[in-house]
Order: sequence, then C-alpha cells, then structure tokens
Amino acid sequence: MKKVSEIMDRREFIRAGGLVGVGAAAAGAAILKDRGELASKDPTGEKTVRNLTAMKNLKTQPSEDDHIRMQRELAAAMSKPVEKRRWIMVIDLRKCVGCQACTIGCVAENKLPPGVVYRPVVQTEIGEFPNVRLNFLPRPCMHCENPSCVPVCPVKATWKRPDGVVVIDYDRCIGCRYCLNACPYGARTSDFGRYYTSNEAQGAPEGKERPIYGSPAPWEGLPSNEYGKSWNRKDHGSPVGNARKCHFCLHRLENGLLPMCVSTCIGRATYFGDSNDTESLVVEKVTRNNVQTLLPHWDNKPKCYYIV
Amino acid sequence: MNSQHSSSDAAQGASGLATQWTKALWLVWILFLLAGIVGVILRLTHGHNAAGYGSYVTWGLWIGVYFLGVGISGGSFILGSLGYLFEIDGFSRPSDLRLAIVLSLAGLLPAFLGVWLDLGRMDRLMNILIHSSFTSMMAFNAWMYNIFLIVAALCWLLSFKQKSSWLKPLLTLGMLFSILFPSQSGVFFEAVRTNEFWRSPLLSMLFFVSAITLGSASLLFVRAAIAPRTASRTDQSHLDSALRVLRAVTVIGLIIYVVFEFAEFSITFWNPGALSPNTDYLLFGGYWPVFWILHIGVGVIAPSILLAMKSRGGWVFASLLATIGFGAARLCVLVPGQVIGQIPGLAQAFQDPRLSYDYHITSMEYLVALMMIAVGMTIFYVGVKLSQLVESRL
Ligand code: SF4
Ligand code: SF4
Repeated sequence: MKKVSEIMDRREFIRAGGLVGVGAAAAGAAILKDRGELASKDPTGEKTVRNLTAMKNLKTQPSEDDHIRMQRELAAAMSKPVEKRRWIMVIDLRKCVGCQACTIGCVAENKLPPGVVYRPVVQTEIGEFPNVRLNFLPRPCMHCENPSCVPVCPVKATWKRPDGVVVIDYDRCIGCRYCLNACPYGARTSDFGRYYTSNEAQGAPEGKERPIYGSPAPWEGLPSNEYGKSWNRKDHGSPVGNARKCHFCLHRLENGLLPMCVSTCIGRATYFGDSNDTESLVVEKVTRNNVQTLLPHWDNKPKCYYIV
Repeated sequence: MNSQHSSSDAAQGASGLATQWTKALWLVWILFLLAGIVGVILRLTHGHNAAGYGSYVTWGLWIGVYFLGVGISGGSFILGSLGYLFEIDGFSRPSDLRLAIVLSLAGLLPAFLGVWLDLGRMDRLMNILIHSSFTSMMAFNAWMYNIFLIVAALCWLLSFKQKSSWLKPLLTLGMLFSILFPSQSGVFFEAVRTNEFWRSPLLSMLFFVSAITLGSASLLFVRAAIAPRTASRTDQSHLDSALRVLRAVTVIGLIIYVVFEFAEFSITFWNPGALSPNTDYLLFGGYWPVFWILHIGVGVIAPSILLAMKSRGGWVFASLLATIGFGAARLCVLVPGQVIGQIPGLAQAFQDPRLSYDYHITSMEYLVALMMIAVGMTIFYVGVKLSQLVESRL
C-alpha cells in the first residue's frame, strides 16, 4: 500500500483539488440561489386587481347573512393587488355537523376523481357510552405560512403565491409525491388517473346507456377549471399523475365567488376572507374566539384556523 | 510447499465456484427478465393502480430498491477507487478498478428505472434536470447522479490508458460524489422536517455505512463468483487479497450499521415514552418480521457467521444475504416512516384504496423490482464484456 504523499504527483493533486473545489462551489451556489428564490414569481400590482361588480348594488344590511358579508368582503379584497390580500379560512368546529357537504361540493367543483380529496371531514369518537360524542374536523389545505411541502419539490412545481395560497403547476409537476410526504396534514393526494364509473358496466343493464367496460361515463371527462385554466384529463392529460390539493378555489375567487366548501356548508361553520382587512368577518372570528391550528409544533403556521 | 498447494487448490476451487455461480446467474437473469417484462407491461397498461402505494404511503418497494442500487453504486466506486489509488493488494490493477466502476454503474442505472416508473408523469422526467430546484434533495441527487455517471464513465475510459494525469483527479471527484449521494440519500428523508421518524441525523450515517458495506458485499460477490476464471498463481493471490479485504470490510460494515441502529432505537428501551408509533410498528408491530428476520437475521447475523467461516462459497452466499438484508433495511426506513398518519381518522374520512396507511407490496411491484435487478445484471455483463474487449484490443 502506498503512502498518501505517493498517491498523486503535484499536477494530479492540483487537478483533483480543482475539480473537487469547483464541484463543491457549484453545489453551494446552486443551493444558495434557490433558497433565495423561494418567494413566488407570480404577477403582482395593478394587473392583478379585479373590479368585480357582483355585490356592487347590494347595500350592507345590519343583520345580513354571513355569506353575503363574506362575498362583499371578497369583492373588496379582489379590488386590491394580489400582494395586499391574505386569504385565511376559519372553521367553527362547534357548528360543524359532519354532513360532508363541503367535501362533496369540492369534489363536484373541482371534478375530483377517486382517491383525490381536498377537504375530507375527519370524524372521531370521544368517550364511552353514555358519555360519548362525535367530533368533526374538516381538513382543507392549511395554506401554511411556512409550508413544508414547497421546498421539497424538485421541479419548482409548487409555491406560495403573494396572497398566501399554496398552488401547484399541473403542467410542471412530475408526480414524484415528495410533497405528499412532506405535508403533515395529508392535504395532498395524487391523481392516479382513475374514474368512478370505469367499472360500471359490470352488472349494468343492456342497452344504449350501458357504458363500455373500462371507459368512464362522459361526465367524468369534463374539464376542471382549477387555477382558471381548463384541464382535460382525457388521454392522461394533467392533472392525471400530478399532486393535487385545495387551492381555496382560486378560479372562483377570481370571479367573486367564495370557495365551494364555504358556499355549501349547511352549518355556516366555514368562513373565508382576507386577513389584511381588519374589519372582515374572518378577522372578527379569529380575534373574538378561542382559535387553534393543527399540529402547531411543526411550525408550518397554518392559515386555516379552528374555533373550538 | 504447503502454501503453494493450498493456493493452487484455492485457484481451482475459485474457478469451479465461478462456473457454478455463472450458470445459476444466467438462469436467474432470464427468469428475472421475463418476470420483469410482465411487471413493466402491467405498470404501463394499468398505471399505478396495480401498486400498493398511494397518497398516504407514497413510496414503496421501488424506492427501497432505488436506494439499494444507489448504495451499491457509491460503495463499489469508493472501494474500487481507494484500492486503486492506494495500490491496496487485490485492487491495484486497472482491471480491478474497471470492475468496480462497471458494478457502480450497474447499481445506479436500474435505480433510475425504478424512480422513473414510480413517477406520476413519466413523460416529464427531464423536468428534474431542466427546472431543478436545489432546495429539494431530489433535484440535488438527480444532478449528482448524472455528473457522477459522466465522471465514472470517463474514469472507465481513462483506466485503459497507460498513463493519464486525469484519472486520479477524476477518481477523487467521483469519490466525493460517491460519499455524497449515498449519505445524502439519508438526508432525502431527514429533509422531510415534519416526519419525526425520519428526522434523525443518524440516517445519513446509516446510509453511508450501508453504501460501503453494500459496495464491499457486491464486489465480493462479483469477484468471487463471477469475475475470475484464472488459474495463475499471481492472479489467484491477487484475488485472495481482494477477497480478504472485502470480507473484512463487509463484516465491519455490518457491525457498524447495527451499532448505529442500536444507538437510534435503544433510547426507547430506557425511555419507553420515546417509543414513537413508527418505531413501535417497526420493532414490535406489523413490520417486525422485516426488521428482525430479514434485516437482522438474514441480512446481518447469517452473513456475519458465513463470513467468519473459511468457505469461499459461504462468503459469496453471505454477500448475497447482506444485500437482501440491506434491501429490507431500506424498507425499514421507508415504510414505518409513512404508515402512521398525523391526523387520526384521516384514512377513514374519505375511503379509497389509495387513501390508506397500510402498505402491502403487490405482485406488480415485485415484478418491476425484478426487472430492475435484471437490468442491473445486464449492464454489469455488458460492462465486463466491453472492458474485456477493449483490454484484448490494446
Ligand atoms: S397543509 Fe400541507 S399541502 Fe397545504 S400548504 Fe401546508 S404543508 Fe403544504
Ligand atoms: S408531486 Fe409534483 S408538486 Fe409534489 S413535489 Fe413532486 S413534482 Fe413537486
């Protein structure tokens, strides 16, 4: 065996040092550059202002429905540039009846296939008979201030927008599922390209309406409008194969509509609005009640608050 | 007289052993390839629906085999390069270096195949290089693998030259990568900061030690079972020296791995409160057979005993068992880290086979894993033959 000093001559040693040095420097520079770039590159400023007319003629009533008020506040928030808004969701667990209307409303709105869910309602049983109760916990994406899902994405396909909404670029996502693993709330699910009706022909009646075995009913192929685009999942089109999650119904917000789960909540348990508007209903709810966030020890700083 | 005798016996023994193993390996290769083709067809026609992973347990067997391949690759490159640079007996010839490099490539390339088939959008594989985000360990690793492939291929080419002033510098760079990417495989998990089970700095050490041990075990396997057909005494003593070193490195590696693992888990014996549900699942719950039987029994105890014996056939067998054991060890990191949800009741809230915290490897996953192994064997065979061809032309 040779001594260390005999392994390489001077020239080889300098070359080895140079290669290792250049490699280490390039790696360091790449990491530092991307760390600095974590902020979103979404458009900001005047071009993001929306002049929504929907609520313009409706006067504020003293005892107006929470939904009317939230919709009015939504239109007001949309009239500001995107970086001036900060969307949050507040869920009053005391009012949730576990009907799952929000879950289904979201499935219908976003045309979610089997195995993809943005807002399940988690049900837990507490105590023993006769002192027993059911707790309901709707769980959308928390749109964390410090999202653990974002930095792990290898292709910059997911990021936090200036208004706080954590989004996914379906055209870029490679479906590695790293972000699914990094979300402690299980808020991301993968679209494995399945359909609810693809096996429907088994046992279905004969006739014209009978679906062809293995081919889904036409309504399952309707495009979804997430992120304001038309996503056609036929022939393995995105979002098939992608990570998917709640996006606070950005496409509805752009048109002055509340997120679907807020609109369909029969218990008026879900609130949504701009936390930068100190007069808003959501700010009122957060400041006047005992609110909690899920798994706070991870320091994700969720923007979905629960009134308990 | 005596030693000459035993040396020539060993030479004949090694040659016979090589022939036996070569025949068996051809058979294994054909079977694995055929099974693997079925698996890949199933994967491509049924998508991920024939797999056991889903949205809550997102990674399964293929990712385990991928990290196994990465370990073999890094470990064999480091050992081959160190042996060549320091002219350690049994490793000093350019042909020894080439064999290690070919093995390294045969470990890494099939790993890519597993990851590719695991992607939801296989058509966008190149995004990982085009749109890389270096805040993600996955992108960082992807770049390291690719640069390493180029460096390793260059080293292989330069090793044919009588004198190259670039070979040693490139080997040094390659070694840097082979230290980095196996240990960074641990960081791949550690970087998931919201996973208590994976957030242990020991993981990168475990992955690094396992890489060295895997590299050593697989080099031991190929050198004892496949590579040599030589009867010359010098060649035989050269091989003997290599096998001695590899046997020692494998045993020491296995011991260090379990010592680190003990350091990780022993805290739960003295502080039962520290027994996380994940560790409980691994050591005493649903995963105990994988941990105790496959990883510890088959992967550590059995090979250690076989390596302590004198039979060379036993060493070859031991190196196979150690590799299988490290495959199980990979799953012992991967699976328990995913099967415990942090929101109790989430899997019941919206029921679907893909929304489950149970993970059972399906036959399609096994078949694709066999394909990965068959591809590795093919690359190794082609690499060795190509090396021999170039050697014969020089
Ligand atoms: S809840 Fe999960 S998916 Fe949503 S932003 Fe937070 S970490 Fe990301
Ligand atoms: S699944 Fe898509 S969004 Fe998630 S980490 Fe992978 S590439 Fe990024």
